[in-house]
Amino acid sequence: MEFTERELWAVIHGLVLGTLFLLAFAGGLAGLYSLNARFMTPEGIAERTPRLLIGTWGMAIIAWLTVITGTFIVYPWYRAAPPEGTDLADPSVLGDFPRYLLLASDSTAEWHRFGMEWKEHVAWMAPFLATAVAFAVLYYGVNLYRRGDVRRAVLVFFTLAFAAAGVAGLFGAFITKAAPVA
Amino acid sequence: MQETQTKPNGPVAAVFVAAGIGSLVLGLFVVLNEVSPDINNFLKFDANWGIGKGVGPLSGKALLGTGAFLLSWLGLHLGLRGKEVNMTTWLAFALLLVLGGFALTFPPIFEYIVHLFPAAE
Repeated sequence: MEFTERELWAVIHGLVLGTLFLLAFAGGLAGLYSLNARFMTPEGIAERTPRLLIGTWGMAIIAWLTVITGTFIVYPWYRAAPPEGTDLADPSVLGDFPRYLLLASDSTAEWHRFGMEWKEHVAWMAPFLATAVAFAVLYYGVNLYRRGDVRRAVLVFFTLAFAAAGVAGLFGAFITKAAPVA
Repeated sequence: MQETQTKPNGPVAAVFVAAGIGSLVLGLFVVLNEVSPDINNFLKFDANWGIGKGVGPLSGKALLGTGAFLLSWLGLHLGLRGKEVNMTTWLAFALLLVLGGFALTFPPIFEYIVHLFPAAE
């Protein structure tokens, strides 16, 4: 029972960081939604704020780590080109070249043309949006509950960050199933 | 009038709009990469600048989007610090930028735009 280096990085990128991102999102969303003076006492808000900070900054840092490892470590393995003379229509010789393996068959080509093309780009929006959210939480701290306008904006951006990461994660799982980086 | 008994909201509006700018710049380079071979070559920061290896044009798109986010955040932060702004208006503007970025990275949309430039096909 062992991992290759490529499998290990694919697991770190997709499974470990992806799971942590989901956890941070769930905790952060619950914290942000309930950060309302109608629901909580001032003591409760003060007690919850550090966790909210950890959750939102955790999500932002994880988002950055995920796109950096994905783009600069795992993605080059995905897009590596086979040696010249390789039959690009023969899936049996393309196992080490996931992009070309997907493109070799009409039944899998859309995983690259649609799935990977969208995933590799939209994923980079997640850290921008998550960082904006984390900064807003840091900036207002315990006073965030007093700023309904900012809290609403934070909730919208937090959800968009999750949507961007969700698209990337979902297609990443499907593409890995169809043509693993190994 | 917004709640003003707390710190002014300008810096928060700044970071939201900056995230939108970063997203839109990323989306624009996704399209430009497909339209122009020169831009495609320029975006290969791995080959041109040694940033990563084997990443291709995604290296440039990602780093330019990130640069746009960080630089616009700095500029907008300096411009909006200490100011109270209408968060609804700024949020709407930021959302337009983000949704523009989302749209330009969506393959059916960026492929449609690319098809408007026959020389790129």
